[in-house]
Amino acid sequence: MLYGIAFYLFAMVLVGSAIAVITAKNPVHSVLFLILAFFNAAGLMVLLGAEFIAMLLVIVYVGAVAVLFLFVVMMMDVSFADLRSGAMKYVPIGVVVGGVLLFELVIIYSGWKFSDAMELANPNDISLTNTEALGHILYTKYFFIFQMSGLVLLVAMIGAIVLTLRKRSGVKRQKIYEQVNRKASDVIEIHKVTPGTGV
Amino acid sequence: MSDSFLIEYLPILIFFVIAGGAAIAAVAMSYMVGQQNPDPEKNSQYECGFEAFAESRSKFDVKFYLVAILFIIFDLEIAFLFPWAIVLGDIGMFGFWSMVLFLGILTVGFVYEWKKGALDWE
Amino acid sequence: MIDLALDGYMSALPEIFLALSGLVFLIAGVFRGNSGTTFLCYSAAFAFVFSLILLAGVNTGEAFSDLFIMDDFARYIKVIILLGAIASVVYAASFLKDEQIFRFEYPVLMIFAVVGMMVMVSANDLLTVYLGLELSSLSLYVLAAIHRESIKSSEAGLKYFVLGAISSGFILFGCSLIYGFAGATNFDDISVLLSGDNSLNIGVIFGMVFILSGLAFKISAVPFHMWTPDVYEGAPTSVTAFFAIVPKIAAIALIIRILFEVFPSMSEQWQQVVVFISVASMAIGAFGAIAQKNIKRLMAYSSIGNMGYALIGVAAATQNGVYSVLVYVTIYMVMTVGVFGIIMCMRKRGYAAESISDLSGLSKNSPVMAYGMAILMFSLSGIPPMAGFFGKFMIFEAAVNAEMYILAVIGVLLSVVAAYYYLRVIKIMFFDEAEDRFDCDIAFSRRAMIAISVILIVAFIFYPNIVFDGAMSASLALFPK
Repeated sequence: MLYGIAFYLFAMVLVGSAIAVITAKNPVHSVLFLILAFFNAAGLMVLLGAEFIAMLLVIVYVGAVAVLFLFVVMMMDVSFADLRSGAMKYVPIGVVVGGVLLFELVIIYSGWKFSDAMELANPNDISLTNTEALGHILYTKYFFIFQMSGLVLLVAMIGAIVLTLRKRSGVKRQKIYEQVNRKASDVIEIHKVTPGTGV
Repeated sequence: MSDSFLIEYLPILIFFVIAGGAAIAAVAMSYMVGQQNPDPEKNSQYECGFEAFAESRSKFDVKFYLVAILFIIFDLEIAFLFPWAIVLGDIGMFGFWSMVLFLGILTVGFVYEWKKGALDWE
Repeated sequence: MIDLALDGYMSALPEIFLALSGLVFLIAGVFRGNSGTTFLCYSAAFAFVFSLILLAGVNTGEAFSDLFIMDDFARYIKVIILLGAIASVVYAASFLKDEQIFRFEYPVLMIFAVVGMMVMVSANDLLTVYLGLELSSLSLYVLAAIHRESIKSSEAGLKYFVLGAISSGFILFGCSLIYGFAGATNFDDISVLLSGDNSLNIGVIFGMVFILSGLAFKISAVPFHMWTPDVYEGAPTSVTAFFAIVPKIAAIALIIRILFEVFPSMSEQWQQVVVFISVASMAIGAFGAIAQKNIKRLMAYSSIGNMGYALIGVAAATQNGVYSVLVYVTIYMVMTVGVFGIIMCMRKRGYAAESISDLSGLSKNSPVMAYGMAILMFSLSGIPPMAGFFGKFMIFEAAVNAEMYILAVIGVLLSVVAAYYYLRVIKIMFFDEAEDRFDCDIAFSRRAMIAISVILIVAFIFYPNIVFDGAMSASLALFPK
């Protein structure tokens, strides 16, 4: 009972805020609705017993991704009204694509059945929290996958820097080592000037 | 799942109710208690006596975004540490060195971005 | 558990070596600055060569708790990938100097892209598929946009990234459907589950189609080809060459592995899909290329069409079909290396000339280059006795053996249409009024690569068995007896 109420509450708010993301006039509101959607998705994950995934959604998506989105929409010099003006003509094609996907999902779920092996994927050992269960295999059995994800993150880091880092020329900055090591003899020249002759 | 599982989350629900209640109360109180004399001039945007010329958005330097992107990457790295920290006793030395290797790869990235000057704020 | 995780890591030695050298080069590069770009390009080429040597010695078998598999199929494809990567990185060294794009991250990203592709080819688990794919795609997105000062390069990177991210989403969705049905991500487990009467489960069919769509994007097969001409045109030419030479081979190998190792019991279902994308790709590749004026766009349509031909062999769903695909992509890789080498030589007064009409009169200005290009174009259009003819012939033969006569006929007809635009390039080079000469200071390394490519294309007829034997043992690895 309680479980059902909680599920439908999260699910409805999730779908509602997802719709609001694409219909809101103000892009900042869109992002705020997106954050609401993430929170509700996290709630659904908690209901499934996947607390770790719920926490990941909150710290990664809400904490970092949504903040970056907010950053971008608030600071980009783009007129969103202009962007939006041409969007209506894509509605028919969007409806078609969305309709096809929805139709497919309906077909999938109407004919769905799990294989016998599906029992294997269910956690039998309730004494473990799912964070522990993940930890037990992620760093050992899935060692290879874990290191590959490290490389993916590294490439993401390189990509971000390659594509966005710009060195401005002519910026004055402190170079402590050089400043401390500067000697008067290197930078000052003393000329004896006899009056009337100039330097 | 049973309802008893949800009861464990009751403190969080109470927390949300109190937080939401406090937030709503603050807005509602100021709305009800404060005097309201709306007037078109009062409600219009104010920019040194002029009408607003343009939107308040302006182009920002991309280095702001760079910091945010790098933050996301390290945030993800941190997310991998949680399960590891919990089960470190069970997964032994192999699990420990597995994480060290992972952190090592990202440390190479960190050295790269430091030396490259991506962390400098000029 | 712990023994299991590292078990057989020796079979991944080439990948491990490359990943480590990528890390070392990154650090070396950042301390040396962008002036070390050329040096790093050649170092990367040596790393590829060394990895090739390691590849020859590693044992076959499964590794890392069955996430990774090394077999003759993987070995063959990896050899092709590494050879293509060596050619691309050598091209990059001189091209980056010509264009004054000095970014030491370029070779490093190439190394990581190649690691990703090698892992893809060796995938024995849906998770490995996804991570390998993502490592290579992410590096490729950045490479496409690496020339930041050029708006076209940025556009190419952005387009490729957005569409590539959607296709990765398709693949993930497909994986999740299959996992949802089977409760396993390991290829062996899934294929065992599907071998019984489970194979017609609707969720699995959808999952398979979603994965296939996502991978079709990566090989730029129609209807997922839209990005190709724009990205090929916008990206710096050395990056385009890399895109054309290497990642497609990895992606088509992954398609073969997934279809033949995970879904062999569903071949009737996926054959329909593959036949459709194959015919559509050949058609769009052939007709779309006719109107092109830019040589890089022309090559984009050419690659769409060529992937269509390769998919004919996949559609045959036989060991012979896989064998013909392997031979075909090998020859295609060698031809593409030569063509892109010549495209990089198209420079007038220090600027890249990319229009097809810039080639006019090449036979008078620089006859050697013109004859080389002519041989490559003849080979691409499948005219005997060039290598390209044998590739196409074997594909069609495989289709006929599998009793797919209509598909083979359509393939032959469309290859006649495609021959038109390849021959048009030759006509422009030999019979049109001469235009300005191209700059003559072509780097030795580039000349050497073009020469090797042309010689291999011509010499294939004398020594075809090197390719045939490798491809045969590779294709047999997928069909356990």
